[in-house]
Amino acid sequence: MALETERKTEAIFNSTPARKQKDRILLLLRLVAFLATASATIVMALNKQTNTLVVATIGNNPIKANLTAKFQYTPAFVFFVVANGMASFHNCFILVLEIVGHRIDYKGLRLAIIAILDMLIVVLAAAGDGAAVFMAELGKNGNSHARWNKICDKFQTFCDHGTGALIASFIGLILLLIINIISIAKLFKPKSDITI
Amino acid sequence: MVKTKRLCTLLCRLMALGATVSAAIVMATSHEKANFYSVSFEAKYSHTPAFKYFVIANAIVSVYGVLVLFLPSESLLWRLVVALDVVFTLLLTSSVSAALAIAQVGKHGNSYAGWLPICGQVPNYCGHVKGALVAGFIGVILYALLILYSIHTVLDPLLLRKN
Repeated sequence: MALETERKTEAIFNSTPARKQKDRILLLLRLVAFLATASATIVMALNKQTNTLVVATIGNNPIKANLTAKFQYTPAFVFFVVANGMASFHNCFILVLEIVGHRIDYKGLRLAIIAILDMLIVVLAAAGDGAAVFMAELGKNGNSHARWNKICDKFQTFCDHGTGALIASFIGLILLLIINIISIAKLFKPKSDITI
Repeated sequence: MVKTKRLCTLLCRLMALGATVSAAIVMATSHEKANFYSVSFEAKYSHTPAFKYFVIANAIVSVYGVLVLFLPSESLLWRLVVALDVVFTLLLTSSVSAALAIAQVGKHGNSYAGWLPICGQVPNYCGHVKGALVAGFIGVILYALLILYSIHTVLDPLLLRKN
């Protein structure tokens, strides 16, 4: 039984040049996804803008107040930063594993574990993106029915940075999804390659 | 053994289908009118893009769930189902997360942005939306379990099956 498993592991890891090319492409995609999610995290985490606004007018004197827009004021953005942080950490970890620990394996389950972890991270990152994008839409357009005013006209830089972070995060998410589907497709192959 | 697996998958998919269908329907029928200091206040799901997205996403996933139920077992399409499951779980969880974010603002408001909570004026609407969100959340958990179970059933990663 142990010998069988060993032979199966050997068959899985016998890489032909075509497979090496595919692995390199996968590695490149993962690197780009890591950069995208890391930049989304950093840009959103440093998102802050202070503005002096006229709050009220008493007589002839306008009262000005310093108002700040920070990402921590919205739970959706906090979740966005946390989710993208975890996604970039996962990407970095798998990158290091692929480059340095190429032969590390656990009973031939390496591909399966990577695929399952990828799935979980994809779902988490999607949740973070969904929440942040609708929150940003609310900040940009307001909601007349609920009497919520838009804030983007007063805090333009905050909104711009947020938009950039969102776009980067979506790019990372799509790339991660592609990588995940390719990994799942790779999981199907070893069954046909096993010759025992 | 195969029959038990098939039954288990069927049951799980049926429950997930029920959860997504009920989430879509409950959210779509949430509607309340209130009079607040002689100002008429109407709360509907279509006023918020996040709730519209929630209804649409749950409807799409319900249609997918119905189609998958009719797939015969041992067919080659189950491999596609594994990948499609991931995509639709992604859709579902992003919709639940978006609706949750907007509902949280509706319930607690956002003092920094000057947004007042609306749940005080339309409590029935808030309760309705809460129910829809709970159903959506149950759907997400069931679909997350399903993608793990699909990988186990179709791919046999522990190499236990004699081929």
